[in-house]
Amino acid sequence: MRDSIVVFINGQRHEVRGPAALLTLSDYLRRQCGLVGTKIVCSEGDCGACTVLVGRPTADGQSLDYQPIDSCIRFMFQLDGTHVVSVEGIAEPGSLNAVQQAMVDCHGSQCGFCTPGFVMTMTGMLQNGGVGDEAAWKHGLTGNLCRCTGYTQILEAGAEAARQSSLTLNERYPAAELLAAISALAGDDVAIAGELADGEHAVTAPATLAAALEFLGEHPDATVAAGATDIGVRVNKTGVLPYRLLDVNRIAELDFVSVDDGVLHCGARASWAAIEEATTEIAPEFHRILNRFGGPQIRAAGTIAGNIANGSPIADSLPFLFVMQAEVETTSAAGTRTIPIDQFYLGYKQLALEPGELITGVQIPLPTAADQLRLYKISRRRDLDISTFTAGIRLRVDAGEITLARVALGGVGPTVVRASAAEAVLVGAPLEEATFRAAGDAAAREVAPISDVRGAAEYRRQLVRNIFVKYFLETAASATAGAL
Amino acid sequence: MSSAGKSLPHDSAVGHVTGRALYLDDERPMLGELHVGFVGSPIAAGTLEAIDATEALALPGVVGCWTAADVPGHNLFGLISVDEPFLPAERVDYVGQPVAVIAAETPEALAAARRLVRVDCTEMPPVLDLDTAIREARFLTPQRRIARGDAGRELAKAPQRLSGVFRSGGQEQFYLESQAAIAYPGEEGRMVVHSSTQNTTEIQGVVAEMLGRGQHEVVAICKRMGGAFGGKETQASLPALMAALVAHHTGRPARVIYNKDDDMCVTGKRHEYVTRWDVGFEDDGRLLAIRFEFFSNGGAFTDLSPPVLDRTLLHADNCYYLPHVELLGRVCYTNVPPNTAFRGFGGPQAMAAMENVLESIAQHLDVDALDIRQRNLYGVGERNVTPYGQVVERNHLPEIFTQLAESCDYRRRREEIAAANAASRLTVRGLAITGVKFGISFTATFLNQGNALVNVYMDGTVQVSTGGTEMGQGLNTKIQQLVAEELGVDPRRVRLMPTSTEKNNNTSPTAASASTDINGAAAVKACREIKERLAAFAAGELAKQTGESGLQPRDVCFADDAVFSTHRPEHKIDFGGLCMAARRSRVDLGARGFFATPGIGFDQAAGQGTPFFYYTQGAAAVEVQVDRFTGELTVPRADLLIDIGRPINLGIDRGQVIGGFIQGLGWATAECLLYGERGELLSHSPTTYKIPAATDVPPVFNVALFDNDDNVQNIRRSKAVGEPPLMLGIAAWAAVKDALAQVDSAASRSFTLPATGEEILRCLSLAPQTAPQPSAAMPDG
Ligand SMILES: Cc1cc2nc3c(=O)[nH]c(=O)nc-3n(C[C@H](O)[C@H](O)[C@H](O)COP(=O)(O)OP(=O)(O)OC[C@H]3O[C@@H](n4cnc5c(N)ncnc54)[C@H](O)[C@@H]3O)c2cc1C
Ligand code: FES
Ligand code: FES
Repeated sequence: MRDSIVVFINGQRHEVRGPAALLTLSDYLRRQCGLVGTKIVCSEGDCGACTVLVGRPTADGQSLDYQPIDSCIRFMFQLDGTHVVSVEGIAEPGSLNAVQQAMVDCHGSQCGFCTPGFVMTMTGMLQNGGVGDEAAWKHGLTGNLCRCTGYTQILEAGAEAARQSSLTLNERYPAAELLAAISALAGDDVAIAGELADGEHAVTAPATLAAALEFLGEHPDATVAAGATDIGVRVNKTGVLPYRLLDVNRIAELDFVSVDDGVLHCGARASWAAIEEATTEIAPEFHRILNRFGGPQIRAAGTIAGNIANGSPIADSLPFLFVMQAEVETTSAAGTRTIPIDQFYLGYKQLALEPGELITGVQIPLPTAADQLRLYKISRRRDLDISTFTAGIRLRVDAGEITLARVALGGVGPTVVRASAAEAVLVGAPLEEATFRAAGDAAAREVAPISDVRGAAEYRRQLVRNIFVKYFLETAASATAGAL
Repeated sequence: MSSAGKSLPHDSAVGHVTGRALYLDDERPMLGELHVGFVGSPIAAGTLEAIDATEALALPGVVGCWTAADVPGHNLFGLISVDEPFLPAERVDYVGQPVAVIAAETPEALAAARRLVRVDCTEMPPVLDLDTAIREARFLTPQRRIARGDAGRELAKAPQRLSGVFRSGGQEQFYLESQAAIAYPGEEGRMVVHSSTQNTTEIQGVVAEMLGRGQHEVVAICKRMGGAFGGKETQASLPALMAALVAHHTGRPARVIYNKDDDMCVTGKRHEYVTRWDVGFEDDGRLLAIRFEFFSNGGAFTDLSPPVLDRTLLHADNCYYLPHVELLGRVCYTNVPPNTAFRGFGGPQAMAAMENVLESIAQHLDVDALDIRQRNLYGVGERNVTPYGQVVERNHLPEIFTQLAESCDYRRRREEIAAANAASRLTVRGLAITGVKFGISFTATFLNQGNALVNVYMDGTVQVSTGGTEMGQGLNTKIQQLVAEELGVDPRRVRLMPTSTEKNNNTSPTAASASTDINGAAAVKACREIKERLAAFAAGELAKQTGESGLQPRDVCFADDAVFSTHRPEHKIDFGGLCMAARRSRVDLGARGFFATPGIGFDQAAGQGTPFFYYTQGAAAVEVQVDRFTGELTVPRADLLIDIGRPINLGIDRGQVIGGFIQGLGWATAECLLYGERGELLSHSPTTYKIPAATDVPPVFNVALFDNDDNVQNIRRSKAVGEPPLMLGIAAWAAVKDALAQVDSAASRSFTLPATGEEILRCLSLAPQTAPQPSAAMPDG
C-alpha cells in the first residue's frame, strides 16, 4: 500500500502525500508549484480556463495519449501514474509551440485570461493528427469560453497552427521513460490520508476491482469518485470534501467499451469520450447527443457510471438508456446483479443501489433497423450546457401501425420518466400526425415539471407537448427522403 | 517607416499564450499577506441588527473581521450621487451586499470563516422587479427629457400609429478575471493598491477617502485586467476598499479575489429596461413622430445609472431621423446590486427599442423592414439633425446600408427564405439588417481629457504611461504604435507601463470607446514636445557631422530608428546614439502630454448640444433559423459592415468588432439573469448563465470594414471601435422577430429581448396554430 501518489508535471516527478494530495490539480499547480499560467474562473468545469493536458499510456503502451481536462475539478489523488502538462510545459523554454505562435500572430488573445486554456485545448487537438475544418475546431473548443474575442481569431489561429509543424508532446517528453515509471506504479494500491481544517480525510485508490469492493464492503459510507465532473463541482461549491473517498480511476477492469451481439457493453468508468467514439456508427443518434455532452474536457473525464449514479433528471445519457432498456450492472463483495435502468431511480437522486455496491458496468441494447429512434436535448446554449429538457422516442412500425413505443422524458420531474400514457396512445395507433398530437397531450398531462433556472414549468410542458409532432415530422421526413 | 496601421500583435500576446502574463491573483504572495473576503447580507431589503463573528474568529488562521464601525474615514461613495455605503451600518439593499470584511491566513480558513459569520437582519418587503418599481414610482433620479417639435400633436395626426411596451433584459459583463485587488500598506499610513480596475483615479480617490487621507497618500495601479467591459469602471471599488481596510488595520498586505459566484451575485450588470413606445408614420413607413419612455432598472444605488440613461436617450434615434420626438427616461430603484456600465452603456437598450419599432412598422404595413429602415435613415446634408441638436456630419449610413444589402445578397435571400418557410413545418427562418450610429465621447464632457507621460531613455528606448487601462482591448498596443510612429522608431523600442496614479493623475475611466482617441492623442503630444527638443539638438549634430549649413529643426526627419536631414537622408544618426548625446548635452528627454477633446458640449437640462466628437457607424445582416416545436435558435449567417475610419491596428480592431458583435449576440439572443423569490441571483456562474460559445459563432460570418478616411478630426483618422459593434448583435433579435412574424403576427408582437428558446417558444405558442395543418408530411426544406 502506497501512501502517496506519483504524478509527472511538465516532465518532473512529484510524489504527493497528505493534504496536498487532497487538493484540486489547479490548486496544486498554482499554489504548490507556482505554475500560475493555469487560470481559475468558475471552479466548476464550465469555462475551460484551467485546462491542462493529462497523458496516460495508450492502449498499445507505446506512447502517451494526452487529453484535455478541467484542472479545477480534478483532484490530485486521481492522477497517480499520469503526466500532467500545463501551459508552462508545452514548448521548450523561451520558445512558442505552433499554437502559441499562431495565437500571437492571429490576434487570438485580447485580455488573455482565457488564453492558456485555449492554448492547451488546441495543443491537445493537434496531438492526435489534424483537425478537419473550422467546424471541427469549434466543436473541439466548446469546453473553453472566451468573452473578448468572439472566437473567430482563435479559430483562425487553429487553422494556422495546423499548417505549421511543432514538437508533439510525445517528442518533447519522450515516452519511454515516462511509460516505464508509470507502469511501475500501476500495481500498487494507494491510500491517502490528510488532515484538513475539518478533520482527517482518507482516500483509497485501489488498482483492482476486488480491492475496491473489499474496501467498499468495509466502508459502505465512502463516496465513490470517478471523473469527478460532478463531485469536483460539489466539493468546490460547498467547500466540503467527503471524509472517505473511493477513487476508481486506477481500476483498469472498469475501463472498456465493447459491442457484443447487438449490445453495447460499457465498463463503469468508460469515459464519454470513449463512448462517443465507439458509437459513431453503431448508434449515431446517441453519438449525436454525446457530441453535445458537456465539452471535450468533461467528456474526457466524465464517466457513464458517474452520470447514472449522479441521478440527475436531466442527465443526457438517460433517455437513450431508458428507451433501449439498458441494464445497470452492480457489484458488491456479495456478488453481481443487474437492474433495468427504469427501475434504478426511486426518487430524486435516490438509487436502487445497496450499501457496499458499486456500479461496474452498463449494458445497452443497440437500436436495430426496425427502430425509429430520436433523441432530444434542449438547452439554453447548444454546447457546454446542462439540458432543460431531454427526450427519447423509439418506435417500431408495421404496415402503418405503431407496434412498439418507448418514450423517456427528462427535466420534467424528479427523475427521468417513461411516458407511459403517451406510450399507450401510440401503441396500436396509426402512424399519422393526429396520433402524435394525442400522445403529446397525454404526455403533457402525465408530467409535473417545475420552474427553475433552466426554464419555466410551462415551457417544459410545452416542449413535452411539441416533441411528439416534431418526432413525427422528422421521422416521416426522413422516410420520405429515403424513398426519393 | 510607419508602425501605426499595421496589425502588430497585442503587446502582451506572448505573455498571454505562455501564461506568463500575470493577473492580480497570479502575483506571488508577500510575506504575511492576508486573504480577504466579505460576508454578504442574507436579505434583499431590511435593517442590520447584529453581525456576530465570534465563531469565525475562533477558527485557526482567521485574523479579523471588520464592519462599518471600523471604517476610519468616509463610508459612503458614489460618482454621481453619494449614496452607496462601502459597509452599511443600518440598512441593507440587496442579497449579498457586503456587510463585513474578513481576513485569514489561507484561502481555506477564509472560506470557512465566511460561512460562520452570523448576520441578523429585520426583513422589509423588497422591490424585486422593474414593473413594481414603476408602479410604485420608486425612482432613483428625476426624469430626463430630450424633445423636438410636438410629438403629441403629430402622433395624433399621423395616418398610421402603433404603440407598445418593449422589454430588454440585463446582461452580466462576465469578464473572466473576477474583481480583484491587493493592498500593500506603506509607511506612515500610506497605501499602494493594485486593482483590476478601469479607473485608477477612482480607486485612489475612494481608498483615500475611506482611510481619511489625502489622495497623495494613496497610489492605485492597474497593469492589466482579464476583461472588464464596463464592469470594472466603478465596481472595482468595493474589493479595493476591502483590501485597503484590512491592510490599514493589520499593517499586512491584503488580497481580495472574488470567486465567480460572488462576483456575479454582488456586482452590477447591464440595465434591464422597460420601454413604452408610441409611433406615428406615413403609409410608406416614414416616421412622423415618436415618443419613448424608458425605465431602467438601476438596482439599489445610483452608480452610473444616470449617464447610462443619458446615453439611452441620446441613442433612441439610432440611425434614423425623427422629425417630432419626445424621449423620457427614469432610473428605477430595485433591491439588486447597483447596475452599472457595460459596453454600449445604455445604447443597446435604446437601439433595440428603436429597431423593434421599425420591425413592427414593417410587419404592420407588410413592407420589407429594410425598405422601412432605408426610408428613415439620416440623410446627407438634410434630415440630419439629431433630437438633441447635433448634426450628423460625414454620415455614411445610406451607403453602408446599400452596400451591405448588396454584399449579403439580401433581396435574393429574402425570396429564398420565404420559399423555405413555406415548405418547412419544422423550422422558420428570418432575416434582418439593423444599423448602429454610436456617439463617441463621454456624455459628461469633463471626462473627455487625458494625460500621458513619455520617457525616452539614453539608449533610445521609450516608456509610455497613460491613464488608460489595458483590459484586452489593445489600447497599449495602439498607443505603442502611435508613439513609435511619431518618434520614427521600431515599436519594440516602446513599452507601455502599468497604469498608475503616480504617473498619471486625475484620469478618466477607460471607457466610452474613446481611450485610444484621448490617451493616444495625449501621448502623441508628449512625443511631439520631445521631438521638438531633439530636432533642435539633432539639427546641430547633423550639421556638425555633414558640414551642411543652415540646417533647421524642421528639416530633421525621424524615421527608421534614426534621424537625418531631409536634404541628405543617406546620412543618419541612430536614434539611440542621438538620445545618448542629447542627454550629455542636457536635453530633456521626457514630457507629459495633455489632451482635451475639442468642440464638444452638452446642456443636460436643456437636452441639447453637441455631446459627441463624431459617430461610429455600421450595419449587420443576420439570418436566423428557429425550430417551430422547440424554439431553438441557430444563426447560420451574419454579415457585418462597419466604419471605423482608418484602423490603427487592423488585427486588434477586427477583434473588437467580432468580439463586440458576439457579445451583443449573447445579449440579444441568449443571456438571461434569473432571480429567486427573495431577490437572490440564481444564474450566478457559467453553469447557469450562458455566454456564447465557439459553436454559437455563425458558420458564415463576413466582417468587412467600410472604406473611409474622412474622420479627419480624430487621431490618424481612426474611429473608436470598442462599443459600437456590440449593438450590431441586435440584428439577430430583429431577425427572430421577422421569423416569428412569418409564422403569425400574434407570435411576434409581444416578443421581448433576449430571444431565448423559451421566449421564442412562448411567442410561437401564441400563434393560433403552432404549425399549419399538414397536406402531407413534408420534408424539411
Ligand atoms: C461543465 C460540466 C458540463 C456537464 N455537462 C453535462 C451534460 O451535458 N450532460 C450530462 O448529462 N451531464 C453533464 N455534466 C455532468 C457530469 O459530467 C456527468 O454526470 C458525468 O457523467 C459524471 O461522471 P463522473 O465520472 O465525472 O462522475 P463523478 O463526479 O466522479 O461522480 C458522480 C456521482 O456518481 C457516483 N459514482 C461514480 N462512479 C460510480 C460507480 N462506479 N458506482 C457508484 N457510484 C458512482 C459518485 O459517487 C457521485 O455521486 C456536466 C458537468 C460539468 C461540470
Ligand atoms: S475554472 Fe472554469 S473550468 Fe476550471
Ligand atoms: S481573451 Fe479575454 S476572455 Fe478570451
